[in-house]
Amino acid sequence: MADDKKEDVTEVKSEIKTGSAEAKPTASTKEAAAPTAKPASKVTPAKAAKAPQPPDPRVEQAVKQGEAIKAAIEKKLGADTVEEVTATKDIPILRIASAKWREAVTFLRDDPEQSYNYVELFAGTDYKDYIEVVLYFYSMTHGTYINVKTRTPRDEAIIPSLTPVLPGVNWEEREVYDLLGVTFEGHPDLRRIMMWDGWNGYPLRKDYSDFQNMPQREGEPHS
Amino acid sequence: MSTTLRSEEMILNVGPQHPSTHGVFRLVVTLDGEQIVDADPVVGYLHRGTEKLAEGLQYTQIIPYTDRLDYIAAMLNNYALVHTVEHALDLEIPARAEHLRILVMELNRIASHLLFLGTYLLDLGAMSPFLYVFQERERIVQLFNEISGARLTYNYMRVGGVKWDAPPGWIEKVREFVPFMREKVKMYDKLISGNEIFLHRVRGIGVITQEDALQYSLSGINLRSTGIRFDLRKNRTYSIYDQFDFDMVTAENGDCYDRYYIHLEEIRQALNIVEQAAAQIPDGPVLGKVPKLIRIPAGEYYTSIEGARGELGVYIVSDGKDKPYRLKFRRPSFVNLQILRKMLIGQSMANLIAILGAVNIVLGEVDA
Amino acid sequence: MFSWQTQPLTGLNFLGMVIGAVIVLMVVLVVVMYTIYFERKVIGWMQNRIGPNRVGPFGLLQSAADVFKLLLKEDIVPANADRLMFMIAPIIAFVPSFMVLAVIPYTAAHVFTAGLNVGVLYYIALSSISIVGIVLGGWASNNKYSLVGGLRSAAQMISYEIPLGLSILGVIMLSGSLNLNTIVAHQATDRFGWYIIPQIIGFVVFVIAAIAELNRTPFDLPEAESELVAGYFTEYTGFRFAFYMLSEYVYVFAIASLGTTLFLGGWEGPFLPSWLWFALKTSLFIFFLFWVRATMPRIRIDQLMSFAWKVLIPVALFNILLTGALSLIL
Repeated sequence: MADDKKEDVTEVKSEIKTGSAEAKPTASTKEAAAPTAKPASKVTPAKAAKAPQPPDPRVEQAVKQGEAIKAAIEKKLGADTVEEVTATKDIPILRIASAKWREAVTFLRDDPEQSYNYVELFAGTDYKDYIEVVLYFYSMTHGTYINVKTRTPRDEAIIPSLTPVLPGVNWEEREVYDLLGVTFEGHPDLRRIMMWDGWNGYPLRKDYSDFQNMPQREGEPHS
Repeated sequence: MSTTLRSEEMILNVGPQHPSTHGVFRLVVTLDGEQIVDADPVVGYLHRGTEKLAEGLQYTQIIPYTDRLDYIAAMLNNYALVHTVEHALDLEIPARAEHLRILVMELNRIASHLLFLGTYLLDLGAMSPFLYVFQERERIVQLFNEISGARLTYNYMRVGGVKWDAPPGWIEKVREFVPFMREKVKMYDKLISGNEIFLHRVRGIGVITQEDALQYSLSGINLRSTGIRFDLRKNRTYSIYDQFDFDMVTAENGDCYDRYYIHLEEIRQALNIVEQAAAQIPDGPVLGKVPKLIRIPAGEYYTSIEGARGELGVYIVSDGKDKPYRLKFRRPSFVNLQILRKMLIGQSMANLIAILGAVNIVLGEVDA
Repeated sequence: MFSWQTQPLTGLNFLGMVIGAVIVLMVVLVVVMYTIYFERKVIGWMQNRIGPNRVGPFGLLQSAADVFKLLLKEDIVPANADRLMFMIAPIIAFVPSFMVLAVIPYTAAHVFTAGLNVGVLYYIALSSISIVGIVLGGWASNNKYSLVGGLRSAAQMISYEIPLGLSILGVIMLSGSLNLNTIVAHQATDRFGWYIIPQIIGFVVFVIAAIAELNRTPFDLPEAESELVAGYFTEYTGFRFAFYMLSEYVYVFAIASLGTTLFLGGWEGPFLPSWLWFALKTSLFIFFLFWVRATMPRIRIDQLMSFAWKVLIPVALFNILLTGALSLIL
């Protein structure tokens, strides 16, 4: 799904090298910008039909911004923290290694340059190969917002919990746990929230079937 | 209550069938006398799996489902969805459609806030305002009935515009409604805002600090009551809100009184918007050029609007087909409700209702 | 036959007493029925509604239908309730509410009034017994809401008995009697007129304490619907529930009668017959209670208690002091 952004990324990277006006002070150290490793995305877009699309200036701008943030993060937390930088419309998307998920988010929140202090959206998506957790982060001070995400394998879906640093995602993580089966390590109160305890399966997973996962009598809540 | 006497704690189940949990919401409260030691909100009784259902539906087909989320303010839910789709498609919306949308959204906001005033006062034991607000709300509902054919679940917005143009005379009715409602707001201000008992019940109760509000990602009036200036209609203007002159209402103390008062004040501001929109509504089509089958280019999109209860967002992951690959509603009630536990601990049982009521939740939205 | 107040107790007089008591009971039941109707109509009008209008002309038989329905309902005793106490509690709450009516002078003729020399004391003492019924009902239901409701009413009613009693003290000092008949008679001849004028502070305290005593808005915490579902009678159904409701409304009538007697000159008044004066004043009092109910939100329990102890009681004491000082000077 992010394939059509690939060209943008490379293009923008070269632009950063030449020193863009938009770059933030922290973006002065750009050598950290690692080559973007691209795992094969199963969700292939219907892109072939409109292949030669001119690069969207908003996307370029956003990717530039994303690269700057990436540089700042990797300066603090070491290389390979940010696996990929893309953008949708005007929002930069940073994919963070799941091992450093909490550290990276905490950094984004606490660093005065970033100060993304307000979680707008927390969502999980099952991409058939992996499960992705998305966080839309807004900065009240700067008025900018970014999208950070992380991936985890489906069969052993474990992500560090953000609840200790951001209490506002407590229920959202419970919801993702409930509906997608992602275990959030370090969550203080990881229980099902929408379905009852004993529900079979994770409804929002793509292979969930109403018939195979028919609720068992013993799974229903007792009076 | 730090006495040397040992007292036993009592666990009280408030809900799911309780008169003032506003739906099927359960709160397991641990009480020490009348003081709350712990509170565990239990939700999910109304979970209908809207997000799962949406994965099998085309975008237009999802719109009726959004009506059922926050059924008090269904127009705003409609708009949240179509706005994201339009954002993904970069659609141009005809000016008349935008004005109609603003009109119905702000009227719906007024209706929703009115219902809050009524139910909140009912929670606090005052019966009459509850019945008064339904009269004003009835006029709004009648207007909606005329324009959309429904009184509660409107299904009025479409990707690219609105479903129907306003019937003849509708705009005039809206214009007449504005001064009528202004008088009523004045009346409510007189009736409620100065009532000594009311003030004693809500002043300084359920205080939220700015840090807490941000940490718990509160939005809407709960956030603005702490003094943080964050209203998506101003901060991240969508639709044509930038064409209208209105104020963002904030308060300083973050207590229940502030939340009540912002509701009242926002009705006034919404009336300003309605008045301007009704005055300058142009003629023209109400539905833009939209393909018959809406396909969103692959990618992920998130936009949010200022709903009646807070930031109402829709997150769409598309794989280029006519149905969303994943649809997630950012439901303000759900997010706002998380702070309840923190607010309740240490309070007395009698404050529970005042605090819960002021958070202003709709269970259809919490449980999605 | 009906003038037993001054005569020795003979068989005929006893019969008269019984007949009188039964007549009072009947009249009060009808009055209570229409008090409920009156409340629903008045509050309905205040809230731009119509109120009951289906059963009988103008809905006049609505209350009768309600009572009838309650009597026909199944009498459910919760499985874990204390059965005996659960059944007795409504009776304990209900009986005193009728007993207090014995001392109220309805008319100038005192046909149905016990000329008790400690009438005021009798009223206050008996009305406190109802609290036992309420606490017992709340406790026996074995429901947490009922328990909290029952305990709240106990705390509230005991607290408000004190300002209620103290506010009446001023009247007693002026009239020099605890007999309600004498108090009414004194008001006719007093140089300040009805005691509402010299005892205005006492009257205000009395009204507030009376509303609290009745568990009515804004002091309706024991049955605070939004917090405690229905308070101490959450678990009650059928005619036991009706008993609680009935005793509540009998008390509305009783306290309005007491207020009329003590402060508004009782049956005193020109031109009209004395019973009509009494009815008018009592209705006015009752109307005021309903008016307050339609206007006010509910006060919080701790505020309620501190209001009784920190405001009402000092004011009532000050009133007694003032009354004493003024009656010495004037």
